[in-house]
Amino acid sequence: MTSSDTSPAWPFERDNPLDPPPIFAERRGTCPISKVSTWNGDQAWLLTRYRDIRTVLTAPGISSDLTLEGFPEPSATVAAARGGQKNFARMDPPVHDEHRRMLAPDFTVHHVAELRDYMSDLVDDLLDGMAKQGGPVDLIEMLAQPVPSSVICRILDLPTERSDFFQDRVRTWMSLDNPPEVAQAANRDILDYFSAVVRERTARPGDDLISRMITGHVNTGKLTAAELLHMLQLLLVGGFDTTANMIALGTLTLLQHPDQLARLKADPGLSNSAVEELLRYLSVAHQVAFRLAQGDIDLGSQCIHAGEGVIAPIAAANRDPEVFAEPDTLDITRDARRHVAFGFGLHQCLGQPLARLELQVVFSKIFVRFPGLRLAVDADELLFRNSIIYGIAELPVTW
Amino acid sequence: MRIEVMPERCIGSGNCVDVAPRYFDQSDLDGVVEVLESDVATADEPAVAEAADICPVAAILLGVSSPAAG
Repeated sequence: MTSSDTSPAWPFERDNPLDPPPIFAERRGTCPISKVSTWNGDQAWLLTRYRDIRTVLTAPGISSDLTLEGFPEPSATVAAARGGQKNFARMDPPVHDEHRRMLAPDFTVHHVAELRDYMSDLVDDLLDGMAKQGGPVDLIEMLAQPVPSSVICRILDLPTERSDFFQDRVRTWMSLDNPPEVAQAANRDILDYFSAVVRERTARPGDDLISRMITGHVNTGKLTAAELLHMLQLLLVGGFDTTANMIALGTLTLLQHPDQLARLKADPGLSNSAVEELLRYLSVAHQVAFRLAQGDIDLGSQCIHAGEGVIAPIAAANRDPEVFAEPDTLDITRDARRHVAFGFGLHQCLGQPLARLELQVVFSKIFVRFPGLRLAVDADELLFRNSIIYGIAELPVTW
Repeated sequence: MRIEVMPERCIGSGNCVDVAPRYFDQSDLDGVVEVLESDVATADEPAVAEAADICPVAAILLGVSSPAAG
């Protein structure tokens, strides 16, 4: 075991904004399961191989409950932000499974597919808006954020004119540059907002997800009102920045790989496989998959012991050459469906069918509508965001 | 190839429905996996094997078809 003074400290720097930190590949080649330090000086195991990451994330007794002693955290701000979260993402079975299954019917593949026409019209309208305004425009403001925020507002029946409020609070909560108390205050604002919504819909239930959770689960005693608030917070933070950043970074990635973009333009039917490859390549949820082992986990060459923290970065798994040939090459025709961009194990993203559909609709349309789409600034001027979900501040484009 | 599932493990990720919709569905009550057809046509074996591989909670088990089922 490496001593705490010599082990490198999480988080690691990227060399190239669209590639994961090079330490993942270095470690995978030399010492694929090794110790690193976290912000408070604690030690945690860093995993770098696809198979180890899948094994740990599916191991019995691997915990996501950050109230447990010894749970590793990426930073003080993340610890504070996540400390305010009391939802099933931070729970273990059996309560995790009970809560997740209350929401799961709204996120099944078939249920989500019913939103396809809505999403198609939404994306057409947003692309029309871009055309009307004329380039250059900020793609994040005009497309990447409005798509997921409109979809979540529709599912939860929230007023879209409050989108700016949600976006601001979610972004503040997600940012790693804010002091812990600022992240906590943003979270309180979100919970207060939902508290008012829940009060109103308890009195006058509608046909939306929140009303059905109240009548089906809160009123029957299976879920407390506080638990519902935290569940709604999770849907909001899970649904906003993740897809928005995939749209923005996915567009940027294609623009920076003209050979791949040409293939997509020649055959828009490749958009589904392009989406899977972009999910793999970008792995925007770059600060998730921190776990605590509650039982021993045998990884062959190394045993993770009960009480030890583990970091299982999806970006490391998704660039493992044992699973993805030439993993650092973007290839929109490869079968990337085995990627773990949505995580793995019982906490794998609940909203993945929704995210997948949103991304498929966007990437089947954007370059058809704007075949000449290009960056309106030099790529070196782009500012990448230090956030729980990797992203970019602005993406000026023209056509 | 024959499909068996462990619904108690399922967390409703929907991956199986996405890659092998002829064989898998999800309950409207809790999103949990439902098997539409247990015996897999040879041509569909790669898709069903992929569904089992990418199931995040290993809730899909693949066995050998009984001879009668072909």
